Amino acid sequence: MEYKVSLGPQHPALHEAVSIRMTLDGEVIRDADLKLGYSHRGIEKLAEERSYVQNIYLTERICGICSHSHTTCFTQGVEQLMELVPARRGLYIRTLIAELERVHSHLLWLGVAGQEAGFESFFMYTWRDREVVMDILEWISGNRVHYAMNIFGGVRRDIDELQKKKILDSLGLLKQRTDYYLNLAASEPTFIGRLAGVGMLSKEQAVALCAVGPTLRASGVPMDVRKDDPYAVYAEIPFEVCTADSCDVLGRAVVRVKELIQSYNMIEYLLKNLPEGPFKVKAPRKVKPNEVYSRYEAPRGENVHYIKSNGSDKPERLKVRAPTLANYPATIAMLKSGFIADIPLIFAAIDPCICCAERLVQMDNAYSGESRVLTFSQLRAMANERSTKVNTKKKDIAWPF
Amino acid sequence: MNNEAIIEKINAELKDKVQEAVAAAPRRINVKVDRKHLLAVLTFIKDQFRMSHLATITGVDLGEHFEVIYHLSNDAVTINVRILTPRLEPKIPSVCALIPGAILYERELQDMLGLVVENIPDPRRLLLCDDWPEGQYPLRKDWKFERPAEIIPGGK
Repeated sequence: MEYKVSLGPQHPALHEAVSIRMTLDGEVIRDADLKLGYSHRGIEKLAEERSYVQNIYLTERICGICSHSHTTCFTQGVEQLMELVPARRGLYIRTLIAELERVHSHLLWLGVAGQEAGFESFFMYTWRDREVVMDILEWISGNRVHYAMNIFGGVRRDIDELQKKKILDSLGLLKQRTDYYLNLAASEPTFIGRLAGVGMLSKEQAVALCAVGPTLRASGVPMDVRKDDPYAVYAEIPFEVCTADSCDVLGRAVVRVKELIQSYNMIEYLLKNLPEGPFKVKAPRKVKPNEVYSRYEAPRGENVHYIKSNGSDKPERLKVRAPTLANYPATIAMLKSGFIADIPLIFAAIDPCICCAERLVQMDNAYSGESRVLTFSQLRAMANERSTKVNTKKKDIAWPF
Repeated sequence: MNNEAIIEKINAELKDKVQEAVAAAPRRINVKVDRKHLLAVLTFIKDQFRMSHLATITGVDLGEHFEVIYHLSNDAVTINVRILTPRLEPKIPSVCALIPGAILYERELQDMLGLVVENIPDPRRLLLCDDWPEGQYPLRKDWKFERPAEIIPGGK
């Protein structure tokens, strides 16, 4: 018979409170359903009451990992509304931060994947190397997570020669380490054995369910906003879109490692071709009534902001679609017909301790399939009633359960 | 296929259904349709230009009307297909049969703006909590958040 098991909302996925309800047949997941909204903060409503400059810092708080993605997506949209051409040096620095952020996000993901696959040393290695990128970001912006680099017309801080040299030196180490990871992902038999064939998502499914980012690219669809709809200076930088055809978790890991190598090359190119001149230009405070649809390739996939202005210094409407939401329908498809043991891999880290917070127990009769909801006191009364009825003196005693 | 070619084709083949098709920016096309022709237009765009990727559905409160925008992209161009639906009868058709990935965005529209998506396969709430009162739609312009008075237990 089939059982329904709920997981979450506490900590099933990469630090996000989301609840999954699964219908299980033994260890096989037959159906899965997601319940969202545990961290809904009303940012879209809040943005309508903040000025454009305030909203840069508000959108930065949408995500703690791809904070630069949201500010860049918002900033470049508003720049289009203002008909403002940002400073070229500013755009280069903005792109540089974007690629550094992709490196730190992908290294973080690799570590989590390694841990969930039972490969703890991989987790330790990648997170150690991630500190190198975090240090670079701190040298440039003064912060490890919320860089606060974007402003309308460019960026808020410049890069000097010493910083450039330091970043290029650190990149050498990262490149060397990432080559090792690529080699490891392609040759370590235990790692491959754990990841290959898990969380299959066919190309047709991925397209129909509108998946984005490395999830989509690992299913063999070369969609990347940086190539399809170049923003900032991506039209000038040489890079390749990384894909894999295996449609599983291994493919997603390989795509991310390959993207890391592409990002290192891009960072090197950006630093060596950094144009001279101002890094920001002055921007107006008010924006003419118009609307813009801004796209950005965040580390996790396509990030979308729709901004409508009304002539004042506050937006009429800001619509944000973060990449994770777009990947949820695909995640459900991946979970189906997988094993319980694969959930952490598919859905990243899951805390399996599900306590009945409401002091509620659901009893399933294993023979008839009937279920009832009982409180603990009812359950205790039932148990007492049963135990008093048992006649322990009889010789042909039958186990009452 | 660039903006001009796509607009030309839309105007030629969907003349009676499309109210307006203009290029808003490089790689961006805005198409305006009546809501009863939405599914036909989306099917045409999806099949003709391989636009199977629906990035999201945006709902905007315009006062008398709600504007609903479907953002479709392929590897070169994004088409924003927009419809209007009156505030007193905010019904829109579901596009899930055509694009299965649209389900979460349609549920979000029902939650946040109170639109009624007809034939939606899964009408449950998405983002708002279970004890959220009926008939309260936070992204409508006339909805204002009032913070409840703070009560300190045992305080003055």
